[in-house]
Amino acid sequence: VSDAVDVDELRTWLEDGYSSSVRTAYLILGNRPDAEDAVQESFLRAWKFRDSLATGSSFKPWLYRVVVNTCNSKLRKEIPHRNRRRPDDDLDEVAMEEDPIGRVTLSHDVMSALKDLPAHLRIVVVLRYYVDLSEHDIALVIGRQPGTVKSRLNEARRRLALHPALQSEAPDPTSNTFRKERQS
Amino acid sequence: MTTFDEEMMTRALREAADDFPISEGAVERILDEARDAATSNDSPRIRAFIQRTGRVQSTLLGAAACVVVLAVAVPLFNAEGATTHPNALRVAHLSPAPIGEKTVNVHSPAFAIAGTGFQNTSGQLALTGSTISGIVTNGTSSQSVKAASLDGSLRVEEVGAIHLTVGDKLFQSTLTRLTDFATTDGGFVASTQSHMGTKASHSYSTGSIVLQVPEHNFTMLVDQVRHAGLATSVVTSAADVTGQYVDLQARISALKVSRAQYLAIMTRTNSIGGILSVQEQLNSIQSQIEQLQGQLNLLNSETTYATLTVSLSEAGHPVITPTHHARGIDKAWHESLHGFAAGVEWLIRIAGPLLFALLLLAALLLFGRLTWRATERRRGGIG
Repeated sequence: VSDAVDVDELRTWLEDGYSSSVRTAYLILGNRPDAEDAVQESFLRAWKFRDSLATGSSFKPWLYRVVVNTCNSKLRKEIPHRNRRRPDDDLDEVAMEEDPIGRVTLSHDVMSALKDLPAHLRIVVVLRYYVDLSEHDIALVIGRQPGTVKSRLNEARRRLALHPALQSEAPDPTSNTFRKERQS
Repeated sequence: MTTFDEEMMTRALREAADDFPISEGAVERILDEARDAATSNDSPRIRAFIQRTGRVQSTLLGAAACVVVLAVAVPLFNAEGATTHPNALRVAHLSPAPIGEKTVNVHSPAFAIAGTGFQNTSGQLALTGSTISGIVTNGTSSQSVKAASLDGSLRVEEVGAIHLTVGDKLFQSTLTRLTDFATTDGGFVASTQSHMGTKASHSYSTGSIVLQVPEHNFTMLVDQVRHAGLATSVVTSAADVTGQYVDLQARISALKVSRAQYLAIMTRTNSIGGILSVQEQLNSIQSQIEQLQGQLNLLNSETTYATLTVSLSEAGHPVITPTHHARGIDKAWHESLHGFAAGVEWLIRIAGPLLFALLLLAALLLFGRLTWRATERRRGGIG
């Protein structure tokens, strides 16, 4: 009965977070099969060791930590030793057929720049700008101090701002609130 | 000037990631695997997901520091505490009325120590390497050590020095008593030197006498001499020269064999040139034999007879134990200087091991950190 209850708990987790986790992993890893594989492994592992989640701890960073670490493991151990991914799975192979307002072009450029970032910088960018975690939560996810997160984010922003794919990007007049300037 | 637009980044990431569909059936596959995994009894071995407070790291750091400090300090203190002089020298400065108990542990692979048998003093001997061990108490049990040292043709060379302070007008009679001790114990007086002081010239009588007794009577002689006056210092040492002795014997034997062979050759040689050549070799060998034999005889004599040098002085003679009798500010100043010098000496002495300990600690920390991170990665990342 206990196992059945626990599996139901896992089902709840999956319904709540599977999709976003896969998309996060996709941004980190760069292709969908690896992302789905990593997230499935992460959920199983997280569920198996669900008792390790201390009472009062936040669930979301904990789950993302498992996902990020599994992605890290794949980036270190599996993907470098594998033949190149299928072209249609690459980040820079985002479909561009229908792009009336140039949004896929923007996405393509950002993805291209993101792909060129080192993994540890790419992870903090994805967690900050896609998952929308705070620096404190990102620190929990990657197991580093908040200062490290801040430093990595700054470095990632600096590199992205200097990336050729984003150099030609026209400024968006609607984004004044969040605009930041970086001296090159 | 370049810009980074956070809103643009958020929008682009969402557009890139949110567009593709999630595989169907993935959730059910995960649930199926979870049900299978639920039947296995793998116990969780991953630590709780809590933010590190540094407590674990501090504990590990403290433990590593303790290990390093102990690893450095214990050998250091052992090295400083143990009196492992190469000649197994033991020095005892005796108070006029020695009381209490003193235990000395000596570990020396090449030398043997004979107990001196101080009054009210017991010494424990532990010789790891020369197959001699024993406990000396009040000089009586030292004979067992001696007997053990002589077993197996051990050759032990013993020397000693005692400084005696004798009372007024007792100088000459003490010299006579010391001579009697040596002759009674089967030995002799090797040399004597004395200076007789007089009250008129305000000088004290001083002198020295060198006694030689059979090696097995050495401890008894030391004990007798100690009681002949006020012994202010007693130094005895014993060196195991068995190896040297055996080596000399072997070399002499080998040379004698060579000499016999050359003599045999000489009997068969007819030519003058051949005879001269063999004679030359024989002379050389004979010279070596005599030289080695002399060394052997000397060693034999030294191990047969133990030497005790006794220096005598009348009470009141200032050269016995120079002590600083300053008082007040002068004394405080000298003690202060001494303390400062001792502190500097201590700092210099400890600087080397401390540096080594710090380096070792840094290496351990680095290794621990790398291991920790590798373990974290291997575990797949929970916690």
